[in-house]
Amino acid sequence: MGCGVSKSSEFYSKKGGKDVPLIVVPAMRAAVLIQRWFRRYTARMEMRRRYTWNIFQSMEYAGEQDQIKLYNFLGYLVDNFTPSGNLISHIFRDHDVCRDTEWERYFSYENIDVPEIYSGPQLTFPLTVSQVAGLVEAFKNKQQLHSRYVLQLLLETWKLLRSLPNINRVSTCQSKEITICGDLHGQLLDLLLIFYKNGMPSQATPYVFNGDFVDRGKDSIEILLILFSYLLLYPGDVHLNRGNHEDHIINLRYGFTKEVLGKYKLHGKRILKLLQKIFSWLPLATVIDQRVLIVHGGISDTTDLALITRIDRHRYESVLRPPKQKGALSGGQSSLDDDDSVSNISLHNRRRSSLANDKPFGTRDSFLRRSLQDFSATVKKTVEEEQEARQRQGSNPLSSESDSDSTNDEWKQILDMLWSDPMAQNGCFPNELRGGGCYWGPNVTEEFLSRHNLQLIIRSHECKQEGYEFCHNRKVLTLFSASNYYEVGSNRGAVIRLGPNLVPYFIQYQASDLTLELTLKQSVGRTERSALKALKEQLFANKSDLISAFQEYDKDNTGRISFNDWAKAVGTVLHLDLPWRMLRSQLVTLTPDNMLNYHSWFNELSWKGRNTEHVEQTVLETLYKHRSTLETIFRIVDTDNSGVISFEDFGQTWRLLGAFLKMQISDEAISDLLVSIDTNKDGNIDIEEFMEAFRLVDRNRLERGNTVFIRKDEP
Amino acid sequence: MAPKKVEVKKPEPKKPEPKKEAPAPAKPAPTPVAEPEVPKEPDFDPKSITVEYTADQIEEFKEAFQLFDRTPAGEMKITFAQCGDVMRALGQNPTNADVLKVLGKPRPEEMSSKMVDFETFLPMLQHISRSKDKGNFEDFVEGLRVFDKEGNGTIMGAELRHVLATLGERMTEDEVDRLMAGQEDANGCINYSSFVKHILSG
Repeated sequence: MGCGVSKSSEFYSKKGGKDVPLIVVPAMRAAVLIQRWFRRYTARMEMRRRYTWNIFQSMEYAGEQDQIKLYNFLGYLVDNFTPSGNLISHIFRDHDVCRDTEWERYFSYENIDVPEIYSGPQLTFPLTVSQVAGLVEAFKNKQQLHSRYVLQLLLETWKLLRSLPNINRVSTCQSKEITICGDLHGQLLDLLLIFYKNGMPSQATPYVFNGDFVDRGKDSIEILLILFSYLLLYPGDVHLNRGNHEDHIINLRYGFTKEVLGKYKLHGKRILKLLQKIFSWLPLATVIDQRVLIVHGGISDTTDLALITRIDRHRYESVLRPPKQKGALSGGQSSLDDDDSVSNISLHNRRRSSLANDKPFGTRDSFLRRSLQDFSATVKKTVEEEQEARQRQGSNPLSSESDSDSTNDEWKQILDMLWSDPMAQNGCFPNELRGGGCYWGPNVTEEFLSRHNLQLIIRSHECKQEGYEFCHNRKVLTLFSASNYYEVGSNRGAVIRLGPNLVPYFIQYQASDLTLELTLKQSVGRTERSALKALKEQLFANKSDLISAFQEYDKDNTGRISFNDWAKAVGTVLHLDLPWRMLRSQLVTLTPDNMLNYHSWFNELSWKGRNTEHVEQTVLETLYKHRSTLETIFRIVDTDNSGVISFEDFGQTWRLLGAFLKMQISDEAISDLLVSIDTNKDGNIDIEEFMEAFRLVDRNRLERGNTVFIRKDEP
Repeated sequence: MAPKKVEVKKPEPKKPEPKKEAPAPAKPAPTPVAEPEVPKEPDFDPKSITVEYTADQIEEFKEAFQLFDRTPAGEMKITFAQCGDVMRALGQNPTNADVLKVLGKPRPEEMSSKMVDFETFLPMLQHISRSKDKGNFEDFVEGLRVFDKEGNGTIMGAELRHVLATLGERMTEDEVDRLMAGQEDANGCINYSSFVKHILSG
């Protein structure tokens, strides 16, 4: 190796002022060897961490995009009055009941009895500090709050939220430091850790929670109840911003709906309906000291806080769709463009074509005055409405157009605030990866800040390795508070403290309920395995498309393709921008001449459901590939939220899915599927059971989900 | 994730054969980054390197490069400081001194500010990959045996930490902690052949 002998003093240690020679040459050799290997080890670990991150993030965003496409598709069905549209139109009915007092009756908790056996917290209103502390403690001990108290708490919250403005204005006067918290996503452990490290919310410890409290994690409802309780206790010191997941359509897919129905079998539906309203009443943003904007997603080049202040935010129960127009435009059917982009405003105008299925939606004032409408009847405009419409239209003959235009502008403002992501390049364009909001660049930030006299934007919405990340010249700060988001060990969470000097101070953490502490290698390995498993599932789910793509490169039908062609095909079919070559050794085995036998490659992963042999392969594949979408449609079809749908509706669901995917699913194929399920439920199908019946299992390693503890011999 | 810019593909050398382990042109062996006052050697000349990687390999290297690219617009550039890491991520094993040499012996302040693009990086990687001096299991064990005072297959963790932090291309305390995590037994001793296996498996 040729270490030169150096005369430097570092090879002599100083002990008591005297130079003591060490065994220089072999020790040095050993040291340098170990050091360089260590550096290599670290670099490879870092690389694996980065591509694992890429995998999770691309798949996450692809899922969100899917959901928006689905929602747009369902909207199209409803607007065009297809038979299947009737099955699902209820999700687009904006206000079944008009007057708030009527709602309060529907949500009434008073006739809900609390059984003697209930040992959880019992709340009385107005809440006290000790009650709320008790509530947190109860959740820590995995207790559940009774639905009576849940409804009561939510009603109080709803009342309070209705009095709040669209933008919370907060000040750090009296040298108070404000704590800002990002996405929590149902991870109660993280919230508890934050409270432990930083203190519970109080007048001395004000908080801003920046959206995405629910979905994905398993304790979303508990988090909401805690946040709402503190909001009620300290309305001047606790501030909530709406996130893109505070949206009942998103909740259908990402687990919150399922969680509530699972935990509250009797009253879950009512709770969800009330939450739907509450979400729409959550403020959209918070401004601190008129200098720092806190918003969940971000901004676009058209974001205007003055405009936002004037919006009727509660009209947007789901941010994915603009609310109905008052005095809807007449017109024929719309055609669904291939371009599903949510920024296609004229398409949305045309959709408001008829009143047959849905009632017209009045302005806030008018609906408060109106009496209850029977929503089973076809609705005609009332005289009152007509008059109001004419008054509003006034001198502007095109005002029904401009009404809808201004609604669309408003809608875009909200969409941008809740869904946008920053990007490195200048400019601003639609965020097609997620399907909503924009990508905005540093120049847009500059312009926005100077126009509004602000100095910093704090936003969330994107998971970050260290829990936070600056960009745009430190003018935009992303904050994410759900640690271990993708997998145990994947990332830290962070919260910010902001004092009167408005310089952020970070607190980072990583919640863990494992009794083993993971070394870096173990946690990287674990996260990596999880990502690769998910990726393999995606590959298998796209088998037919991949085989077609492979065959383009294998015209002689040898069953083999080169690795290079494999990489190109996979990238194109999956639409995932990943470092496929780096992942090669984890995903495929090549022959000595660097070719891949693609048929046998697919055999390495296979279906292992019960009794699935008789089901046609393509149907299974479709099922697997689109299971999230399928499950979402199930939950929409299941109007009484019982978790169970009829055979007939099951068939309808499949036809809906087929229409969405533009593929044919025969009635035979559907009845084959039914055979696989335990149907001793009088002609009904349990959604959960059905979904569980089909699981992808790696033939080589029967992984049925993550294990909590790691065996010692595992790397 | 923000969208990436489309990268302009440059024509690659068309050699189809796999990368060869050609002996490096006659150069003195790399010296450890101990202190200055070492014999002067010719500077690294990228033009003297023929890149012999296949197109496939180059695509793979690009992916790694991209993974570490932190430029705002995805310009396919990395800092000097990252070069060593990217080479190591691609399976090479240079010392810090080796890396500094192919970078043209930059000053410390240039490490985080000067950038390398992929075309400049490739010959550096090729040169490093030709180094014969890789070290294997035996070399490691031999090296650690030096510290095995009792000749029983174990060394004192504390002593190893001291060595790694003070000799050769010194590691920081944090780096040492990470390396040694979980390796010491209750008495603070390390079985060094398992230790070596642990390192080599990374």
